[in-house]
Amino acid sequence: MATEYDIIIIGAGPGGYEMAERAGHQGQKVLLIEKAHLGGVCLNWGCIPTKTLLNSAKHYVHAKEAPEFGVTTGEVSFDLKKVMAWKQEVIETLRGGVAAMMKKSKVTVLNGEATLIGTRKVEVEGTVYEGTHVVIATGGSPFVPPIPGADQDHVMTSKEILSIEEMPKSLVVIGGGVIGIEFASFFSSLGVKVDVIEMLDEIIPFMDKGQAKRFRAALKGKVDFNLGCRVTAIDGHNVKYVDKTGEEKSINADVVLMSVGRSANLSGMGFEEARLDFDRRGIKTDEQMRTNLPNVYAIGDVTGKSQLAHSATRMGEVALNTILGKPDRFRMNAIPWAVYSMPEIAGCGLTTDQAKEAGFNVETATLPLMMSGRFLVENGKKGAGQVTVVKDADTDVLLGVHMFGAYSSEIIWGVAAMIESELRIEDIKEIVFPHPTVGEVIRSTMFQF
Amino acid sequence: MATEVLMPRQGQSVESCIIIGWKVNEGDVVTEGQALCEVETDKATFEVEAPAAGTVLGVFYPDDADVEVLKVIAAIGEPGEDVSGLRPETSEVSEQTSEVSAPEEKNEVAAPQPVISDLRSPTSGAGASPRAKKLAAAKGVEFDVLAGTGPNGRVIERDVAAAQGATLSPAAKAKAVATGLAAPGMGTGIGGRVLAGDLSEVAPQDIAAAVAALDFPGAVNEIPVRGIRKLVAGRMLDSLQSTAQLTMNTSADARTMLDFRAKCKAAAEARGVGGITINDIVLFATVQTLVDFPELNAHWLGDKMVQFEDVHLGMAVDTPRGLMVPVIRFANRLTLKQLSAEAKRLALAAIEGTIEPDDLSGGTFTVTNLGAMGIETFTPVLNAPEVGILGVCNVQLKPVMGKGGEPQFIPHIGLSFTFNHCAADGAPAAKFLVALRQNLAAFDVLLVK
Repeated sequence: MATEYDIIIIGAGPGGYEMAERAGHQGQKVLLIEKAHLGGVCLNWGCIPTKTLLNSAKHYVHAKEAPEFGVTTGEVSFDLKKVMAWKQEVIETLRGGVAAMMKKSKVTVLNGEATLIGTRKVEVEGTVYEGTHVVIATGGSPFVPPIPGADQDHVMTSKEILSIEEMPKSLVVIGGGVIGIEFASFFSSLGVKVDVIEMLDEIIPFMDKGQAKRFRAALKGKVDFNLGCRVTAIDGHNVKYVDKTGEEKSINADVVLMSVGRSANLSGMGFEEARLDFDRRGIKTDEQMRTNLPNVYAIGDVTGKSQLAHSATRMGEVALNTILGKPDRFRMNAIPWAVYSMPEIAGCGLTTDQAKEAGFNVETATLPLMMSGRFLVENGKKGAGQVTVVKDADTDVLLGVHMFGAYSSEIIWGVAAMIESELRIEDIKEIVFPHPTVGEVIRSTMFQF
Repeated sequence: MATEVLMPRQGQSVESCIIIGWKVNEGDVVTEGQALCEVETDKATFEVEAPAAGTVLGVFYPDDADVEVLKVIAAIGEPGEDVSGLRPETSEVSEQTSEVSAPEEKNEVAAPQPVISDLRSPTSGAGASPRAKKLAAAKGVEFDVLAGTGPNGRVIERDVAAAQGATLSPAAKAKAVATGLAAPGMGTGIGGRVLAGDLSEVAPQDIAAAVAALDFPGAVNEIPVRGIRKLVAGRMLDSLQSTAQLTMNTSADARTMLDFRAKCKAAAEARGVGGITINDIVLFATVQTLVDFPELNAHWLGDKMVQFEDVHLGMAVDTPRGLMVPVIRFANRLTLKQLSAEAKRLALAAIEGTIEPDDLSGGTFTVTNLGAMGIETFTPVLNAPEVGILGVCNVQLKPVMGKGGEPQFIPHIGLSFTFNHCAADGAPAAKFLVALRQNLAAFDVLLVK
């Protein structure tokens, strides 16, 4: 006899567990199935552990720079073992938090591998569970391209490198996306020689092009960026690549990080047999996260729509609202993103190039973060950072804000609120920002138009 | 003193008529008895004639206005006479036009359409319906800045309701005021907020057409449901929803009636029987049979049944304006020749639109004939509250075992009889059909009755 649930969620990442919590809170009977750990990639092998490591690196850098701010320190050292132990403690604390949250929301958590059967049933280790709605939140995994030599032990993905036991002397990062840049920042801050090899002409494809250049300049001497270069093979510790001019080159490194992208987790869960509509990029959904199968929803990385934890959470909320009959839609135009490198990078909305491509009559304004007293105080005169505001000159509507520099990640949410509200620059000028803060520079930039 | 032209009363049941079109303009000189305009009731069209000679001093209602009977619709008198006292109040005129569309949008007025409100500048001047004004006052909505979706852009209740529900972003408001674009009742932004991109350049009715075109590519012709179509639709639905109707099919030996009809046709013109049709013969036989089945010559009124001594026979006629059912009064007292003549007169009047409204009501039983179109069997829908309706089908050859055991092919006329099982049971209904079959088979005997 199958057990009946209102909602069965496969995958307990930030898409799945947040949705489970909200659904449970709404009185829905929820089954949450997870094959590994509560919290998914984000909590266990992604957002949280990387931020833990980066925070330790920041402490290290700040301690080393402390004399510039009048604080004398002794010898500063980085204890990787302790850092890793703290990272593990953070993960376990948060896992416990998620478990408590599930308990409080009366969500049934099941550990095991799920198989979708038809449109309303899920099998886990021989037992069939039946739900009125099934939500697929199976996430994604690092994509490893078929490069000769990529299967060696010192060629790692983000997952393995998070458990590295010994600090390498040199690192080659293949792929200059968010993950690659964060690890490049982490290791370079600790004195590791870092080379980034990126196939495209610029790092972080959705970053403002001008700022990307300035950001790279800020890392000069710490990270070498090899743009427009294609890796052909990893021969032992030599990473071979062809540069823009077609010249074959090679970089030697202790460790190679493969961070060229992530792909949706689609196989081995009965999706094909259930006739779910998906392609290589992910499961196809509409704006309400409905798949082609009745009662079956998909959220998060597995949809291929957006590979951000907060996107997954929002998709889960949209799916839940849809299930509960409340009109909602997943809007993509105001999803903020952040890179927790040193300096941080964040953005929301369209970049100048994207806005032009979309046909807007674009006008932009830029100010350095150094305009902020607090920024100078805390980052010193060599602190790098700027804000670029993109607006539609015809309507004065804010199209995007892109920034890099300390605290960017904590500031950017306000831009999401502005864009979601479709505020015009003249409206935003009426909003008061606290002083002294770094966020003020956004407001100041608006007055440059 | 000017002469009033009244909307004439057309039968006891008619409360209002629609002015299809005026044949005169203000200032025209008319003679007594000249047609001023054509008007339509639910059942027929007729002309309003000038009650006196003179100059048309005022035409008080536009084309397509639905005007109560005995209202003054025009005035005739000497040039220069003041007819303002005869003119109805303005609000009344616009109110009466609100239910119908303007002539230029005759074919594209959408019945159900997306609810659209509009912040267009108050220049349309089409006014607002009293219900819209009332709601606007209650909800604090300024109706005069809304662009209505009613006829000629008149603001109707749903426009006010929609405007009250819609929250426009600052950018959307600015754009709406500047461009006059229309806003939907719900947008794609946060909490259904209307964003600038949700505003639409096309008129609401065009959106409906466009939406329809998405599902049904190609040109779309939307026809408002009113007049006879509306009446028929209402009666048919009501009939199916309020009665327990079912249909029995049989057929009758048609040799006698076919012979008789051939004889009539061949008879000398002076006898006046050449025009007697198969349908007339069936009508006659039905009436004569019904006399013996009072439970089927009856009305079902829910709490009581009314049986009629006389048969007032409705006959379904296909007219250019749709289905009409003129009624042959006291059909049981008419000879076949009289019945035939009356049927012909009524059918012609119905087709030409000159039939008196009172000739279209008061039936006790209905006959509908689709035999001429080759229909072999069908399920007529009761003309409620009547208890029975006979469908007449085509004549077909049927094999019948001859006396010597050999099959003979004999023409049979198909009969489909629908009755209300609330009022009569299956056995008496079947007995009626058997009697009718016998009467048709030995039709000549009926004539000597």
